[in-house]
Amino acid sequence: MKHQTKLSQEQQQQHAAEHQTQQPAAREFASAEELLRYDAAHTTVPPGIAQRLQKSTGDLPGPKTAWWKRLFGGTNP
Amino acid sequence: MNEPAAGCEFAEESPADLASSEFSSLYAENSRAIYYLALRFLGDPQKAEDATHDVFLKAFRKLDQFRGEASLRTWLYRIAINHCQNLRQGWHDRHVFSNADDAVWENTVAKTDSPLRVLEIKELGQRIQKTLDGLPDEYRLLLLLVADEELSYEQVGALVGQSPDAVRGKLHRARKTFAVLFEKTA
Repeated sequence: MKHQTKLSQEQQQQHAAEHQTQQPAAREFASAEELLRYDAAHTTVPPGIAQRLQKSTGDLPGPKTAWWKRLFGGTNP
Repeated sequence: MNEPAAGCEFAEESPADLASSEFSSLYAENSRAIYYLALRFLGDPQKAEDATHDVFLKAFRKLDQFRGEASLRTWLYRIAINHCQNLRQGWHDRHVFSNADDAVWENTVAKTDSPLRVLEIKELGQRIQKTLDGLPDEYRLLLLLVADEELSYEQVGALVGQSPDAVRGKLHRARKTFAVLFEKTA
């Protein structure tokens, strides 16, 4: 009986593991937002965007106002 | 969501061009959030890359108009939402649909994980995209914004033109619809 019980436990664990492999997302995430946060955290921003931005803005004048100084308590020109 | 995205900071600092440390910080702190919104809202990595570039370029040009009435993140989201909605509207008018292939999607997954983990994350991302594509635009946008922990319901409401209570009510329905559709992608 003990042997059967042991087998049964192993089968249950195997079944649970297989089930978990088939549906990892449904088991790991409590809500859609949590799932999306996980997805966002594993999403890489293409480095090409920064390079293109640097090129695109190269010929443009910088912001006229030091907005960050105004925002964070510096002097306002 | 709010940690600087690795490899995204501008290389040189010069007062004559964009590479001011302040704008570089703005980009480093917000590029992941804006890119992710564009990626999942548009459903196409190449278009999301173009959109993210355009959003930050627009932000750079309008930085002196930023009044500090909203957070910078919220301000950037507003630019991004308008931009992405215009793009989608244009596609609908021209009946254009995304046909991004697997190779393009490969590059959206962080490479720091093991190959098996990368595959799992990629598959999960495809299921998420399929699910989001099946949602009404309003629900899709709502879920993507609420997923950003930096935004309050008030801020989300301001971005989608709804009261915080309306956001909560619609969010409940959006979650249920998402769960049903997500199960179907298994």
